[in-house]
Amino acid sequence: MEAVMLVEQLEPHGRLVLRQRFESAGTACRIGRELGCDMVLSDEHAAPQHALLTLLEDGRVSVRDLGTKNGTRVDGKRIPAGVEAIVEQGELIVGRTRLRVRTRYTPVVPERIFRRDFVRRHRTPLAAAGVSACIAYGAFQQWLSAPTSIFRSVTAGLLVALGAIALWVGLWALISKLNHGMWEGRVHAAIVSIGAALCAWGLWLAGVVAFATQWSVLVQIGLFLAGAVALLALYLHLREATYYDRRISLALAVTLTLVIGAVAWIIAIRGDDGDVNRVKLGPDVRLGADRVVPNRDVADYLAEVDELKRDAGRERQKSLLDSPLAEAED
Amino acid sequence: MRFCWDLVTIARLIAAIWLLASVSGAVAQEERPAAPPEAPAAASAEAEATGEEPDEEGLDAAAVEAEISAQVISGEAKVRLDAARESVVQIRGFFAGSESSAFHGSGFAVDDGRRIVTNYHVVAPAVLYPRQYRIEFLASDGSTGPLRVLAFDVRNDLAVVAGDDLDLPRLRLRTEIPAQGERAWSIGFPLNLGLTITEGVANGLVENSFEQSIHYTGAINGGMSGGPALDRRGRVYGVNVSVVTGRQLVGFVVPAKHIPPLLARAGTPLEQSLSAQQLRQRVAAQVLSYEAEVLEARPDPAVTQTVRGYVLPTQISRHLECNTVDERSPHPRMRVEAVGCRIPPRILVQLGQNVAGLIVQHRILQSQGLHPLQFERQVNRLAKGPRRSGTPEHVAPFACRDAVVSLDGFDARISTCVRQYRLFDGLYDFDVTVVSIDDAEQALVSRLALQGIAFESGRRIMERYLGGLQWKP
Repeated sequence: MEAVMLVEQLEPHGRLVLRQRFESAGTACRIGRELGCDMVLSDEHAAPQHALLTLLEDGRVSVRDLGTKNGTRVDGKRIPAGVEAIVEQGELIVGRTRLRVRTRYTPVVPERIFRRDFVRRHRTPLAAAGVSACIAYGAFQQWLSAPTSIFRSVTAGLLVALGAIALWVGLWALISKLNHGMWEGRVHAAIVSIGAALCAWGLWLAGVVAFATQWSVLVQIGLFLAGAVALLALYLHLREATYYDRRISLALAVTLTLVIGAVAWIIAIRGDDGDVNRVKLGPDVRLGADRVVPNRDVADYLAEVDELKRDAGRERQKSLLDSPLAEAED
Repeated sequence: MRFCWDLVTIARLIAAIWLLASVSGAVAQEERPAAPPEAPAAASAEAEATGEEPDEEGLDAAAVEAEISAQVISGEAKVRLDAARESVVQIRGFFAGSESSAFHGSGFAVDDGRRIVTNYHVVAPAVLYPRQYRIEFLASDGSTGPLRVLAFDVRNDLAVVAGDDLDLPRLRLRTEIPAQGERAWSIGFPLNLGLTITEGVANGLVENSFEQSIHYTGAINGGMSGGPALDRRGRVYGVNVSVVTGRQLVGFVVPAKHIPPLLARAGTPLEQSLSAQQLRQRVAAQVLSYEAEVLEARPDPAVTQTVRGYVLPTQISRHLECNTVDERSPHPRMRVEAVGCRIPPRILVQLGQNVAGLIVQHRILQSQGLHPLQFERQVNRLAKGPRRSGTPEHVAPFACRDAVVSLDGFDARISTCVRQYRLFDGLYDFDVTVVSIDDAEQALVSRLALQGIAFESGRRIMERYLGGLQWKP
């Protein structure tokens, strides 16, 4: 393979501005503000003739600074005046402009599989599956609690689930439409319905497992995972259906998730502390279900109850700190 | 029988209702106006004492009749009232430097004429928050002055207070309980309306009760608390208590025999020797000694009741009163059988806060063709049912522990929650929920609730309760 060099000019965030290709050994590329240069920069921090790149016989590149005040940096290191730096590839900073030099030594990464399209390609079946799972959950809950007027309650659950999904999809579709001119309704519907169904069914399952293992932490872990699913769904809304940049999508999704989580947490904490009559009974009981952990005996349990004296005392201290008695203690 | 009332009785009834309504209409706190036909006398006497006169419309034959009968009786009431008038004072409580009273009750002079007997709950704010509240008396001659608490008896709801240079004519005490049916009078300042006497009948000690309290059939309204209950000879047989609401003409009177021991203890004002915290501790200690006697009293032998294979401890304390509750099932395809037992929380440590109560509630749920998942939902929902109300100003939040525990013959999920009182650190509330988890067709949801109890005795009662639950098919 003969000597070849690719010089790319990048904008500060790393996006490509222009690219020039030089072939055959001995070819030079002069970089500077002068119109006579091979690569002309409009950067006031660059000299009229700033740097010289020469393609060598062996395919590498020699970089030389042409005696400038600001100097030239190769991969962050400034080249001393009059010294030639030999590189196989690298990033140059000339003035404030970023340049990338590639030669035949630069490894070429293999083709990456184009996964991004998965949601878009299968949007119809995905949306249908997600919406059905949501509706099934709503209907299941209705059936569990009010099985007498089954038709009416299931219809109500169905309408509520559909309405909530429609509202959310509509909002995102509008954002997509404004952002790049397409509604992307089915993509949004697929994302939100699958996310919601995962959360709802997952939490239900977490409750079942939490009782079987007598491990209430599982419910909290379930809530945490639900948060993660929400984060992923938001990211996909932004990235896949609205075509925001990856980093912007991630930042927005994380921020939104944190804000929503914080609001939910504050509401939960408030509701918890505001009600002195609230009792925590543990995970809902499952009648006749298999349990993984062995039962306690009464004496064991009563020994554990003794610890409640200390816990209750702590709650009292906390409550007295939060709102002191009308008359301060002596 | 109901159809045989003659015209006069009906007219009397109407007149009595009208009179009572006009009295209660005059005040903000409303008592149920309807009076049973046996009691127009008391109602009329009360109306007269508060100076109500029927107007033209009411002056039909019946009203005249009622008035005549009222006059006949009120002669005797008037004698009682006049004899006691100067001994009875109104006790008024003030918030800090405020000039208008925050709460009020009645009291009467005994012994040396300086010391006044009243209800504990009347002066409770001054005991619990001595720096925030002060109490004063208002005597029949219009004189007023500060009062200080000398002694209190939370269990019997009694307190002794004293004014500095008070010298009232004293009332004599009668320490034996009046016979059932004896005529009696109660004096006090109901609803801030001025000195009032009501007439009724003493009905002896309250039956089936561990509590020493005399049932008085006659009106005792808010504000008459702490006033004297007099017998025919003008002696004090007890002290009015008016904290029971929603009942008509059922009053309670603390027997006078509890007064002398309290007077013997009443020396110097408590606030001189005790800090606010020590006063509260003393209140809590009195509550706890009552509990040791009442809530922890073991039944002999232990009484149980068997419902659908479950042996339920219905009497874990001797004084527990149980009845089978006809509870409406929350679901048409589920049967609920409920047994409820309770010792009502009769000790009033401050207004709106009763302690020393015990509730046991067993519910047996039976699925009638419900899917196991549906039945399970109903069981969970019932277990989560609302708890009795505690207010954030009085109690701290619950701390809870739950576990699946093997009980006698069945497995159950037990959740125990305990909370403390903000004002009294020795008092706890317990809330224990037991849900059987073996059977998908039938479940036991049982609750034990203890109100204002020492932690250790709460735990002992809990142990007794859990030990008594049994499944014996």
